[in-house]
Amino acid sequence: MLNVLLANLPLLLKGAVVTLYLSAASAALAAVIGVAVALLQLYGDPVTRAATHVYLYVMRGVPLLVLLFAMYYMLPYTGIDVGATAGGIIVIALYFGAFMAEVFRAAILSVPRGQWDAARALGMYGRLLMLIVVVPQALRIAGPPFVNTCIMLVKGTSLVSIVGLWEVTMAGRQIVERTLAPFQVFGGVAAVYFVICYCLSRYGRWLEKRVSYVH
Amino acid sequence: MKLDFNFILRNLPTFLEGAVVTLELSALAILCSLVWGLVVVTARTAPSRALALAATGYIELVRNTPVLVQMLFIYFGSAVLGAPLSGFAAGLLAMTLQNGGYMAEIYRAGIEAVSQRQVEAGMALGMRRHEVMSIVVLPQAIRKVVPPFTNQAIVMIKDTSLVSSISVAEMTFHAKLLTDRTAAAYEVFLTLAALYLAINAIVSAALRLLERRVAIPT
Repeated sequence: MLNVLLANLPLLLKGAVVTLYLSAASAALAAVIGVAVALLQLYGDPVTRAATHVYLYVMRGVPLLVLLFAMYYMLPYTGIDVGATAGGIIVIALYFGAFMAEVFRAAILSVPRGQWDAARALGMYGRLLMLIVVVPQALRIAGPPFVNTCIMLVKGTSLVSIVGLWEVTMAGRQIVERTLAPFQVFGGVAAVYFVICYCLSRYGRWLEKRVSYVH
Repeated sequence: MKLDFNFILRNLPTFLEGAVVTLELSALAILCSLVWGLVVVTARTAPSRALALAATGYIELVRNTPVLVQMLFIYFGSAVLGAPLSGFAAGLLAMTLQNGGYMAEIYRAGIEAVSQRQVEAGMALGMRRHEVMSIVVLPQAIRKVVPPFTNQAIVMIKDTSLVSSISVAEMTFHAKLLTDRTAAAYEVFLTLAALYLAINAIVSAALRLLERRVAIPT
């Protein structure tokens, strides 16, 4: 019964590699966007603050699939051509960057007030204070929720199969069309995601334990 | 870029037709996962070790796999079994299974957030375990789960867009057809995004109102 799955395992694993690549690339980009948006939201001037609010509102209210469709259908008319894979990565990063911004903003805000005061009393200010005192502590606090957002992101990459990118979900659909064995094949696809996400969630829980001693 | 508002107005009925399906699926999925989550959390916190372990395994399984893959699994799987589900039913089932897992964790966090001392105080007053649960713990826990429930509800409304890929004619499906037919990508997708934003704004405003109404006065 599992012959179908075994016969097509190489193809699924190839898809898994693409999924990992898409996830890693968009998670890295989303983290950068998240940090930038969080800092702009906290310390930007009123205009950039308003702009980040609009960005967060749109990303939280519109489905990722709609954003992907919008990118694929609307961008060609503007003359911008980023290619299918890069486009997918950018949209996923923009979408999850909004969630990461919330993670980092909450982390910066949860660095205790006393730490800022102590740093100021030592004569630090501005960039130095942020870099030496706040950011290292904030990154620690942000660790576990960041990993959780990464899990959402890995699952989110499955949507690019709907707009035609080839990764593990798409590979699964192609194999099912050929073999008519949806249980085995989609079970295998689910297993790929499960392995990635479960490892991430264990890692997140481990981080959570390690971080909790700070305060 | 110039938007053709006449085009949007002319095709608004199509969007609204899809919006009805989106809203139906969202409402049903939210209700079903509220109930299913309660079942899962009961098993998760049951005294029976095997039951608790099974529930934990279930929660990990549904939370660590994409809902799209679950939908495909159920949709194409049911066809092979000889009892094909409609796309709507398969989508509803997949969303209920996944979000029931999330809801169970939300319930559990709410129950655990009620101080253990309150349980002890209830016991000291001579209440039985189920009385402590229904009179002391649950009324407080339910109030605490409203904010995370709101987040989950929004996630679910957005996830309904995925059933467009198993041929359910909801909003995103209609939008895609409309773009394929007219090539008016800007008009279609800006309208679609605006409709989702409007639905989510209304739902989260309503739930925030609920949150304020049930809040424990301080």
